Amino acid sequence: MSVATARDPQVKPASPQRAGPRTAAPQSGFAPWKDPAKEPFVRFENITKRFDDFVAVKNVTLDIYEREFFALLGPSGCGKSTLLRMLAGFERPTEGRTIVAGQDITALPPYERPVNMMFQSYALFPHMTVEANIGFGLRQEGMAKDKIADRVDEAMAMLELGQFAKRKPHQLSGGQQQRVALARAIAKKPRLVLLDEPLGALDKKLRQQAQFELMRIQETTGTTFIIVTHDQEEAMTVASRIAVMDKGDLVQVATPGEIYENPKTRYIAGFIGDVNAFEGKVSAASEGCIEIDANDGYKFKTRSTEPVTVGQQAWLALRPEKIRISHDQPVSAVNAISGKVEDIGYLGSISHYHVRTAAGERVTALRANAAHTVERTISWDDNVWLDWPVDAGVVLTR
Amino acid sequence: MSSSSNSDIRRWYVIAAPYLWLLIFFLVPFFIVFKLSLSDVATAIPPYTPTFSWSIADFVSKLDFENYTFIFGDPLYVNAYLSSLKIAGISTFLTLLVAYPMAYGMARAPKGWQPTLMMLVILPFWTSFLIRIYAWIAILKPEGFLTMFLMKLGLITEPLQIMNSTTAVYIGIVYSYLPFMILPLYASLEKINPALLEAAQDLGSRPWRAFWQVTFPLSLPGVFAGCLLVFIPAVGEFVIPDLLGGSETLMIGKTLWTEFFNNRDWPLASAVAVLLLLVLIIPIVLFQRQQQLEREAGR
Amino acid sequence: MRGRFSWFNATSILIGFAFLYIPILLLVIYSFNVSKLVTVWGGFSTKWYGSLLENQALKDAAWVTIRVAILSATVATILGTLAAIALVRLNRFRGRTLFSGMIFAPLVMPEVIIGLSLLLLFVAMGLDRGFWTITIAHITFTMCYAAVVVQARLADFDKSVEEAAMDLGATPVNTFFQVTLPIIAPSVISAWLLSFTLSLDDLVIASFATGPGATTLPMKIYSQVRLGVTPEINAISTLMIGVVTLGVLAAAYFTKKSSEREDKERRKAFGAAG
Repeated sequence: MSVATARDPQVKPASPQRAGPRTAAPQSGFAPWKDPAKEPFVRFENITKRFDDFVAVKNVTLDIYEREFFALLGPSGCGKSTLLRMLAGFERPTEGRTIVAGQDITALPPYERPVNMMFQSYALFPHMTVEANIGFGLRQEGMAKDKIADRVDEAMAMLELGQFAKRKPHQLSGGQQQRVALARAIAKKPRLVLLDEPLGALDKKLRQQAQFELMRIQETTGTTFIIVTHDQEEAMTVASRIAVMDKGDLVQVATPGEIYENPKTRYIAGFIGDVNAFEGKVSAASEGCIEIDANDGYKFKTRSTEPVTVGQQAWLALRPEKIRISHDQPVSAVNAISGKVEDIGYLGSISHYHVRTAAGERVTALRANAAHTVERTISWDDNVWLDWPVDAGVVLTR
Repeated sequence: MSSSSNSDIRRWYVIAAPYLWLLIFFLVPFFIVFKLSLSDVATAIPPYTPTFSWSIADFVSKLDFENYTFIFGDPLYVNAYLSSLKIAGISTFLTLLVAYPMAYGMARAPKGWQPTLMMLVILPFWTSFLIRIYAWIAILKPEGFLTMFLMKLGLITEPLQIMNSTTAVYIGIVYSYLPFMILPLYASLEKINPALLEAAQDLGSRPWRAFWQVTFPLSLPGVFAGCLLVFIPAVGEFVIPDLLGGSETLMIGKTLWTEFFNNRDWPLASAVAVLLLLVLIIPIVLFQRQQQLEREAGR
Repeated sequence: MRGRFSWFNATSILIGFAFLYIPILLLVIYSFNVSKLVTVWGGFSTKWYGSLLENQALKDAAWVTIRVAILSATVATILGTLAAIALVRLNRFRGRTLFSGMIFAPLVMPEVIIGLSLLLLFVAMGLDRGFWTITIAHITFTMCYAAVVVQARLADFDKSVEEAAMDLGATPVNTFFQVTLPIIAPSVISAWLLSFTLSLDDLVIASFATGPGATTLPMKIYSQVRLGVTPEINAISTLMIGVVTLGVLAAAYFTKKSSEREDKERRKAFGAAG
């Protein structure tokens, strides 16, 4: 019989509740990457970038589809900004091609590309008003003055900048400057907008608001957005798909859900959210189930189609919220271990329990504090049982 | 700017004009000076035998090192070079002594005062060099202001004989080049984090020692830049020794001028110039490298 | 570096500025001295300024000097700005070391060497020496100062603003004129002022590069100074100092005012949040 606090709802650690019906994709069925008939809108083809003897980007091939909000995610130095700048035209790939809407733009200078960028430092023209800043790109096209004014008004309305029209950048706050930078990038109604760590300079509250604003605009205008960020929460919130990069390599490209629930490597599993990784050797693999003999003596059974051979080194990656924690020994659990509660991280809505197993490993379990009580049901030094079902974890071989 | 091939052409549009200008009007003249230093004097106008012949053998045979042997042989020239180096060196040191407390005071001044102080330092620099030296003549003359002032105070009874002496030259150089020493010093001192001095004192260091162990070493880049900015031009200085110096003040800039305008011996003057340049090459290269390092560190 | 502003600091600054300014002040005061003996005060008079207006040779020299200064400053600023762009923006090109050497060397080189070498060039080229050769000589050495001033500003400059312009469709040339130049304009103006002053004050290089009929004001002053100290020279010196001082004060005032205004606006914007 399951305990009252049985399977807790999937809670992503410290992640904001998604407000309203909006999610990253325009409709929940939006998945052009699954459609073999669809042509990619942006394609990086075997892109390599070398700076002297330092390789920033290693042979990356990536397809991005129209109307996606695509995120390039990774720590600093992983090559994501370099990749973006090659798309914008500020760097030339050492090898490979970049193709947008079927056109090879690799050799085009930035001012001839159908791409606009929002810069990390905003890069607003300090000597021009907000209006002039937003209209700059349109003036370069030679558009008629009245048409420019209309477009500028449209962009300012979309980003609620109307009252700042005549101000100069130094008369605006950080958040206002950020909106001007975005307005300027979309004023020309480009089909592709690049955002280079656009929200890094904002404080947390503003950043969350700005993230939703970005999503709203992307959807309203039907533009393809490619965002570069090192903040995994940001990527998970806004993106339809995420590409995780590490030291110039493309490690995994998938939807936020896929990446979180089915990471391909330990790097990704650890990079996004928290994870428990049990190291061991494969003892059996059949009928879609893999058994692992963990180094600390436990045996774990996981539903997985990962190709493995018996005796191979493998890890069981398990998210803390998938683990059930209780004082009572589970009656018929496939995977169960016992231990003592060493630390508790109380975050109000959830609690992290850091449990030291009998074998000496530290495992983290997470539980929502669903009951309205201040008293702890589980406390320090309690002996507890942790268990999880066969489909709760993922087997990783690298 | 993107690194595509057609921007290589654009690059050259930007560099071409200044590059060509400097090549023609700065670099080529040096070769001419060198070439001329190997020629003979003539009384024609221009006062040297033009030796621009197209035959190499002919060209080389007309060259000779007569001017150089003359210079090395004549103690007047050798002394002039050495004296210039000595005077420039002492002046640089004196300038440093005067400038350092000023720059230090400016660096410690309240933030609101600093731009004004900077401007007050730079302002004399914008007024004519010649005029400012001229002002000192009136002061240092035997019947000048300084003598009058000291006599009024009763400190001296006879007129000072500073004018037309090497001492006057020292005063003149220190006065004229002071801004060049203050500014780099100030820039260096200003950058020093006050927390470093506090840390030194917290760890038991008295203010004077803290200065020598922390502040001064950190200000060395400024000291270095300032000294070079004063020393190098001071070696070849002409106006100051000419107006304030005496007959015993030997400076190579004056010698060059005399050789050129009074004796009309252009080849000899050229040789003097070439040797002066050789003497200064090392400090100039040092200066360039320090500037380069500063700029790269700033990036 | 701040810290306690001690008595020692205050005194050293005061003595230092006294040293710098007293000679100039004496010069100015005694230009109003009615007596011809410069160090004996006879009474207040502006007669020496009057006699300046009658001195045709001086007026001609002043006219030559101003024309040379304006022309050479303008060309030097253009060349210097281009050189600064080359140094800051273009990372690698053949002959870069030589180029940067040529830009920085004249800053420290003794003027007699620069003057001598230029004169020899003019002779070798067969150019008639006079107004134009002085101008060329001044352009050559002041453009290096102009380059240094503009380069300092360009190095501080946020490159992404230029990238943003190009991203929005502006060619490099358009980017320069519409974005870069307006932003670095104060430095370019400073460079012009600096080149103008250097040309105005130059004695040594002008003496080498000049020819018959082209005497500059410094040359005239110098030839008179060698003969002795006269109140007329005090007068013209005071005029020159006055003009330059007004210019520098005006520039400083306007820069301070505009940056004060910007700071106030910036603070207001952040206070209002958003």
